Amino acid sequence: MSEQVSRRDFLKLAGLGAATTAVLTGCGPASRYVTREPYQQMPEYNLVGQSTYYATTCRECAVGCGIVVRTYQGRAIKVEGNANHPLNLGKTCARGQATLHGLYNPDRVTDPIKKSRGDSAGENINWDDAIQVVADALKNNQPNEIAFLLGTSSDHLFDLLTDLANSAGVNAPVRFGALSMFESRATLSKAAENLFGQAGMPWFDVANAETVFSFGANFLETWLSPLSYTRGFANFRKATETKLRGRMVQFEARMSATGAKADEWVAIRPGTEALVVLAIGKLVAEIKGGSVPRIFSSVDPLEVASQADVPLEALQHLAELFATSNVVAIPGGPALGQSNGLAVAEAVLALNILAGNVGKAGGMYISALAPNQSEYHRPASAQEMQAFVERMKNGEIKVLFVHGVNPVFELPNAIGFKEALSNVGQVISFGIFPDETAVEADYVLPDHHGLEGWGYQRVTTGTDLPVLSGAQPVVSPYYNTRSTVDVLIEAARLAGGAFASALPFADEVEFLENKVTSLMSESSGSFSAIDNVAFMASFQQYGGWWKNVDAKVSPSGSTAFSRNISAEQAQFAGEGEFFFVPFVSPTLGEAGANKPWLQELPDPTTTVMWTTWIEINPETAHELHVENDEVVKVISEAGEIEVPVYIYPAIRPDTVAIPFGQGHTAYGRYAQNRGANPADLLGLHFNEAGDLAFAGMKVRIEKTGKTKPVSRNESRMGVYGEDLGEEH
Amino acid sequence: MTTLSDLKISEVKLAAEEGGKWGMVIDQDICTGCQACVAACAMENNIPFVGEEDSGYGRAMHWIRIERFWEGEYPEIKMTNQQPMMCQQCGSAPCEPVCPAFATVHSQAEELNLQVYNRCVGTRYCANNCPYQVRTFNWRDYERPEPLPNQFNPDVTVRRRGVMEKCTFCIQRIHKAQDKAKSEGRDVMDGEFTTACAQACPSNAITFGRIDKEDTLVYNMIHHGHSHGKKHLEELGTLPNIVYMNGNGAA
Amino acid sequence: MLKKIFNWLMQPIGLIAVGIAFLSVFSAAVYGISLTQQTPPQPIEFPHQTHVQFGIQCLYCHPGAAKGPAAGIPSQAKCWACHNQIEKTATSELLAPLKDAVLNGESIQWVPVAIVPDFVQFNHRAHVAAGKNCEDCHGDMSKVNIAENPQVMNMGWCLNCHIETAGEDQEKLIKLTDCGTCHY
Repeated sequence: MSEQVSRRDFLKLAGLGAATTAVLTGCGPASRYVTREPYQQMPEYNLVGQSTYYATTCRECAVGCGIVVRTYQGRAIKVEGNANHPLNLGKTCARGQATLHGLYNPDRVTDPIKKSRGDSAGENINWDDAIQVVADALKNNQPNEIAFLLGTSSDHLFDLLTDLANSAGVNAPVRFGALSMFESRATLSKAAENLFGQAGMPWFDVANAETVFSFGANFLETWLSPLSYTRGFANFRKATETKLRGRMVQFEARMSATGAKADEWVAIRPGTEALVVLAIGKLVAEIKGGSVPRIFSSVDPLEVASQADVPLEALQHLAELFATSNVVAIPGGPALGQSNGLAVAEAVLALNILAGNVGKAGGMYISALAPNQSEYHRPASAQEMQAFVERMKNGEIKVLFVHGVNPVFELPNAIGFKEALSNVGQVISFGIFPDETAVEADYVLPDHHGLEGWGYQRVTTGTDLPVLSGAQPVVSPYYNTRSTVDVLIEAARLAGGAFASALPFADEVEFLENKVTSLMSESSGSFSAIDNVAFMASFQQYGGWWKNVDAKVSPSGSTAFSRNISAEQAQFAGEGEFFFVPFVSPTLGEAGANKPWLQELPDPTTTVMWTTWIEINPETAHELHVENDEVVKVISEAGEIEVPVYIYPAIRPDTVAIPFGQGHTAYGRYAQNRGANPADLLGLHFNEAGDLAFAGMKVRIEKTGKTKPVSRNESRMGVYGEDLGEEH
Repeated sequence: MTTLSDLKISEVKLAAEEGGKWGMVIDQDICTGCQACVAACAMENNIPFVGEEDSGYGRAMHWIRIERFWEGEYPEIKMTNQQPMMCQQCGSAPCEPVCPAFATVHSQAEELNLQVYNRCVGTRYCANNCPYQVRTFNWRDYERPEPLPNQFNPDVTVRRRGVMEKCTFCIQRIHKAQDKAKSEGRDVMDGEFTTACAQACPSNAITFGRIDKEDTLVYNMIHHGHSHGKKHLEELGTLPNIVYMNGNGAA
Repeated sequence: MLKKIFNWLMQPIGLIAVGIAFLSVFSAAVYGISLTQQTPPQPIEFPHQTHVQFGIQCLYCHPGAAKGPAAGIPSQAKCWACHNQIEKTATSELLAPLKDAVLNGESIQWVPVAIVPDFVQFNHRAHVAAGKNCEDCHGDMSKVNIAENPQVMNMGWCLNCHIETAGEDQEKLIKLTDCGTCHY
């Protein structure tokens, strides 16, 4: 052919050829290319073509919900709730459902790795060498130079390391999680201690209340025990023959997904929470008659109304409502993340005392302790983490083990965790994902995924019963990973001396048996057994052990009313004009960003998927001349980030909000380089209980001239406008 | 030998007249919009995630989505009660008559709207004609890198590019429960099984079950509750089988 | 451009070229089709005939058929339970792959013979319960060595049987001809 065949003609010819071939050959059965690989040895309880269900505990957060995982031919197919588990009664949240996307995540750490800091990849080593590294780290350092930083999940690992600390003298394990930071757990338990003389996690019986006054508490999202609170909310809302539909009032500057369910949403000015609570207390006391308790006496409701930017009539109306129904008042969320967060918590608990609901149905209790627990234990507060980082900086910690937490990402940048790591001789991560902390480690010795491993979790709040939730492997490990407990037991044996005698167990299962079977002698258990083997079998089968005894505590707060709470507004750090409210993404939680289906879940209030946004009131946006999808720079005293704007109708004009959960620089393909991390904006200011005053920042906003289309489900037409472009 | 065309299908009563077999009641007053149902549905039904860009084009493949609307302006602003929206399994479905390939057909046996993936040729007429906008289309073969496919539910077909899909009322679970009941020589009991969304729902806002038998949970909720609820866009004559309630109507 | 090619093709030499091209494509296609109709090679030349003659029931090795969707291929542990007691296993060349697989802990990659596309949800249990015998669909295994598929398992074949089974029973007919019975 002399002429060149044009592209168009070539396509025509090629199409003709392909069509002919297809017609002539038919589409042959695909069976030629399929093989079936039967079991070499069929596991017990399995049947070809039938699913097998295993009870275990969800490890996506520290709550300890019971799940039942459907497995099929050795693969985990679906997470379902454990209907017998007293905490969640067969229900699951979105993060629990997506735990399978963690198990089968394409970016898991597949083998133990030796690497240099700052690299995400390294050289694979075998487990014998890896365990020797751990053993050497234990042996070659003074016990007080060895530290363990743990996440809030996997209580059995915490117990193992506590045993190790007690008998071998290493530092007691430190636990931390971004969720507990944003929940201000230290503040809640400190407030309970100050008012009732008893530290513990307050539990609010929403189910039986007539009215809920929530001061920023996001109890329908990620707060403390969301499934249990959501069930309570459903009962509270449903009218029956004997009770009315519950009425809910939410006080917060930015409407949270919880606030969206409230009948009345009161947008008080950030920092005035304590004042508002005290003013309501004073008004209620006046309505009820008698003298106003000292704790409420220092405020002037009229002044508070103007400080909080709420009409006095509204406060009076709310006080009226409060005085005439069975109310439970809940403190939480950004209200506690203020410089005076402890005062807020104490004032709200005092409000419950005023309502006379403490220790009564529909009121406030202190949560039951878990079965093998003698006192309430909470994760480290941000201030305690700062002290820990200080010790790292001073070179007091020579070897740091990290498990189940990603402090480089979860802690505010200002705390300097990443920088402090350079003063730590050896960093060993047990992370299952290549997260930011694993990147900064010398070794990554991956633990099994939660669905592949053993363990137990203490239920700290959310149910009347003392519950120890049990975990067992539902599938065999997919990669060359090894249980951290097994690694530590083996390393301790190799290290010898006090280490070996501290952990005299053959393996993780023997350790668990040792811990769990001590419950056999307890009365009123959910099951009993004739021997250890039977007990362990039932423990696995039921997904835990619980005592059928209502063990929640009814505290007495007789002296609470005589306390003094300083009636002042909270302090704000920084020069900006906007109050800054960071909140935990209800769908992603603290560690969900690497699970693709969690990324694609719309945020409940904004319906945004896959990225971070900043919520700005429409009026403010108009004044700033910013529009949806416009990228702005948010600047605080601690740092700056760039985020696209989402014009949010339910936020105060003087307030902006950014969800926490994105902004990873590592953590796998679905999380990396996506969105921004609002923790970068947080300065180190603490409330009196040592929790971070995360809502105590002021920020300013600058335009950048850039735009970023924010994917959101509310717009079925798409967010790219009419110009869809040819390629799409 | 009998062939399909010999059958007197016309003698079979239209599902519309029978009033449906499976139904759902959704209490919007207790729905918290937590997205557990959306995640559960995705995990149960092998729904692909489409990624940031495609979801920006409105191509996210949620079979169930939670709608919410705003009323008023700050500070008197109110979010309407969350509204889980999925295929309403219409008795007289607008999607069905427009399908040129008979891929969107009415199941006479289960009285559901079926989507037969292997018949679908991707005209998207059905999605255009659906007043509830609950049908999603596979614009691509969405990538699920290894080992994510290990999680696939073997009871549900993995769809490929160019195929329309939508909520099936977890028909695989219906079949499984019926198969189990039949093998034990009994009928399916009320509440014996439920859909993935209802199973996960932390506030029990979604209830699924038979609506053609009296004394089932869903039947009682619809007919004997204080509130009769409403069906969406009922005025179009679609005869939807999902009843939405805003609270149970008791004072 | 296309016209020039067409003109060239109309010359005698062009016609011959077209003929040769057609024949080669056609024969390749025929060969391809015939390949798909042959029984695929298996990792072990498993003689069904022999096992059936020993009186082993189908359900002994494929117990899933009576209980659920999949009949299943037996685990090699099941093969070995008998075969490690059989003297011939140690020496037979045909049995060497089984011996190797068991002793080395490797899986045997069987090639399924009777399969349906992935958009068909087939359930063995319902068919067994309806009184179908294994040989109704899979042929008489006492007559074949390596498993082969006696028929094309397409939808017409399924439906014919479904319609016959339903007979005059309208309700059954609806159920058995419903798209949603097999496709979801």
